[in-house]
Amino acid sequence: MLATVAATLLTFSFVYWQITNADEQRVRAILVEETSKGANYDEPELRKALDLRLTRDLRRLDYVGLSDPSGKLLLGNVTAMPAIAIDGAAHLIPDAHPPGAPDRVEPAVFVARSRADGSVLLLGRSLLEVYGLRKTVLSALAVALAPSVMLAVAIGMFLSRRTTRRLARFHDTLARIMRGELQIRLPTRKRRDEIDQLSHDVNLMLDEIVRLMAQIRNVGENIAHDLRAPLSVMRAKLERGLATPEEGALRVTVSQALQELDRAIVTIAALLRVAEVENGPVSLEFTSIDLAAICADLFEFYEPLGRSKSISMTFEASPPVSAHGDADLMREALSNLIDNAIKFTPEGGAVRVSVGMEDGRPTIRVSDNGSGVRPGERDKIFDRYYRTERNGRIRGSGVGLSVALAIANLHGFDLKVSDNNPGAVFELSRRADAGRSPNLAA
Amino acid sequence: MVEAATRILVVDDEKALAEEICAALKPLGYVVRLAHTISDGLSEARAGEPALMIVDRMLEDADAAMMIETLRAEGVKTPVLFVSGLSSVEERIRGLKAGGDDYLVKPFAMAELTARVEALLRRLDDVRTTRLRVADLEMDLVEQTVKRGGAEIKLAPREFKLLEYFLRRPGQIITRSMLLQDVWQYRFIPDTNVVDVHISNLRKKIDASGRPALIVNIRGAGFMLDASR
Repeated sequence: MLATVAATLLTFSFVYWQITNADEQRVRAILVEETSKGANYDEPELRKALDLRLTRDLRRLDYVGLSDPSGKLLLGNVTAMPAIAIDGAAHLIPDAHPPGAPDRVEPAVFVARSRADGSVLLLGRSLLEVYGLRKTVLSALAVALAPSVMLAVAIGMFLSRRTTRRLARFHDTLARIMRGELQIRLPTRKRRDEIDQLSHDVNLMLDEIVRLMAQIRNVGENIAHDLRAPLSVMRAKLERGLATPEEGALRVTVSQALQELDRAIVTIAALLRVAEVENGPVSLEFTSIDLAAICADLFEFYEPLGRSKSISMTFEASPPVSAHGDADLMREALSNLIDNAIKFTPEGGAVRVSVGMEDGRPTIRVSDNGSGVRPGERDKIFDRYYRTERNGRIRGSGVGLSVALAIANLHGFDLKVSDNNPGAVFELSRRADAGRSPNLAA
Repeated sequence: MVEAATRILVVDDEKALAEEICAALKPLGYVVRLAHTISDGLSEARAGEPALMIVDRMLEDADAAMMIETLRAEGVKTPVLFVSGLSSVEERIRGLKAGGDDYLVKPFAMAELTARVEALLRRLDDVRTTRLRVADLEMDLVEQTVKRGGAEIKLAPREFKLLEYFLRRPGQIITRSMLLQDVWQYRFIPDTNVVDVHISNLRKKIDASGRPALIVNIRGAGFMLDASR
C-alpha cells in the first residue's frame, strides 16, 4: 500500500515539474531571442516594434524599456531600469513591480541588452501566469492524488483487516486445537491464495499429528500387552514356586521365570532398536559395502544351524554387488531374514539365499519352503507390534522383521514378501529412486 | 581362582543394582567398593587403585564418560566396563572412545557381567604367541594346524578362530555375546541358538574318538574351555 502511494506521488511530482519548468524555460528563451533581435533594429523600427508590443499586451504581462547610454529611460512601461546585468541573458526578479500597479510585486524575467548607439533595450515578462499554471497543476494534481492515495489506503486497510480477521480466526482455531480439540481444522476456501495454501499445509500437518498420536497410543498399549504376557506367566510361576516345598522344583521355577524375563527384555530391546534405526540416520557414516561378501559371511554363519535341522541350505552370489550403507546394519537386517527362514522351515526343508544385481539394483532374496505367509498377513508381519504369538505358530518373528524393514528403509531399500509355493520369499532390493533418498545424500 | 583381594570399583547411582553387582562379584573373591556419584567415583578411582571399574554411563550428576576421560588424561589405565541403559550404537562407540574397554547394555545377566569382568582382568598375556596348548590339544598359529593327542584335526577358518578364542582363555567363562562380538564381529544377537550349533560342531571335531570334552557348557552363562581334563 505504501509503495502504491509513493509511486503515485512520484508520478505526480514528475508531471508537475515538467509542466512548470518547461513553461518558464520557454518564456526565458523567447525573451532572450526577442531582445537580441530588437537590439539590432534601427531606432524608428525599434520604437514601432516596442509600441506594438505594449499595445498588444492586453493582459499586462510584458515589460518594455529603452534607456539612453546614461541610463535615462526614453520609452517603456517600466518605472525604472531594473538592477540586472546588461548581458542579453535572462534574469529572474522575484519582486518586480508590474506596469500600472507599482504597489504590487510579482515574479518576472528580464533581459537587458545594449545597442550599437549605447542605449539599452529591456524586455521582460511576468511569470504570474506561469506560476498560476503551477498552482493550477498543483491543485489539479492534489485533487487527483488525494483520492487515489485515499483509495489505495482504504483498499489496503480493507484487505489487511480482512487478512487480520482471517488470521485472528486461525489463531482462535489453533488455540482450540492446542487445547486438545485435534479433530478441528483451519478454514480453507476455494480461491487458493497464500493463506489458503498455508492453512491447507497446517491441516495436513494436523492429520499427520493425529495419525502419529494414534500410533503412539497403540505403541504404548502394545508394549504394555507385550510385557504383560511374560510378566503374568512369570508371576504365576513364582507364586507356584513359592508354594512348592521342594527346593529342586523351586530352582526349575526360578529358571523358567528368568526365561520369561529375558523374553520381555528381548522385546523391549528390539522395539528400542527399531526406534533407534528409524530416528538415528543422521550420524551414521555410510560407505561402499560389499553385499555379496556380507551375504556369504552370514550364510556361512547360519549354514550349520540349517544343517542341524536337516534343512538343505543353498547360497548363490553373482558378485560384485555393492551398495552404499552401513555394513553392521545390513548384516543385522539380513541375519533377521535368514534366522526367520530357518526358524519357520520344518526339518528336511530348504532355505536359499541369493544375491546379485537385477536391473542395475542390488537384490537379495531369502527363500524357504516352510509354512509361508498368508496374503492377508503380508503387510502385518513387518509391523513391529504385530505379535504372531497370539495367533499360534503363524510366521513372522514379530520385531525382527520390523528391524529389518527399518534398516532397509534407512538404506533406500524395499523389503517385500511373496509366495514361494510353498513357503515365502523375502526380497530386499534397492528402490529405483534410491539415489534421491535423503538418507543417501551424505 | 582369583588372586587375593582384586579390587573392583562399581560406580552406579542405581543403588539396588550396584548392590546386586556387588553381591554377584563378592563370592568370586573380589573386593568391591561402591560409589554413587562422579566425584566419589573419581576419588575412589584415584585413591583405591582398583584393578577394574564398572561404571554406569549415565549417572544422576553427569555423563560418566567424562569421568573416564579425566582419569585417562591423568594416566590411569585401569580397565573400565561401562554398563548403560543407553543401548544405541553411537552411545556404545562414545563410551568406548572415552576410554571404556567394554560396554554392557542394561538389563544384563549377572553371568554376562562376571564373564566380562574376568575377561577384562585377564587381558591376553601375549598376542604374539605362535603355539597354544591346553591338555592334549595343540594349536599352531603359524601353520594354522590343530592336533589333539598328536592327530591332526581339520578345521574351517572360522572354527579355527573360535577354538583359538577358547584356547587363549582357558578356564574362563565365555558368553555367547562375547563370541558373536569377538569371533564374528557381529553386533546383533540372533534369535536362534546358532552359536550353540557352532560350538557343538567344533566339539564334535576336537573331542572325536571318545576323548573328554574340552569345551563345556556353563549353565545360564555360556561356555568354558576346561583345561583340567
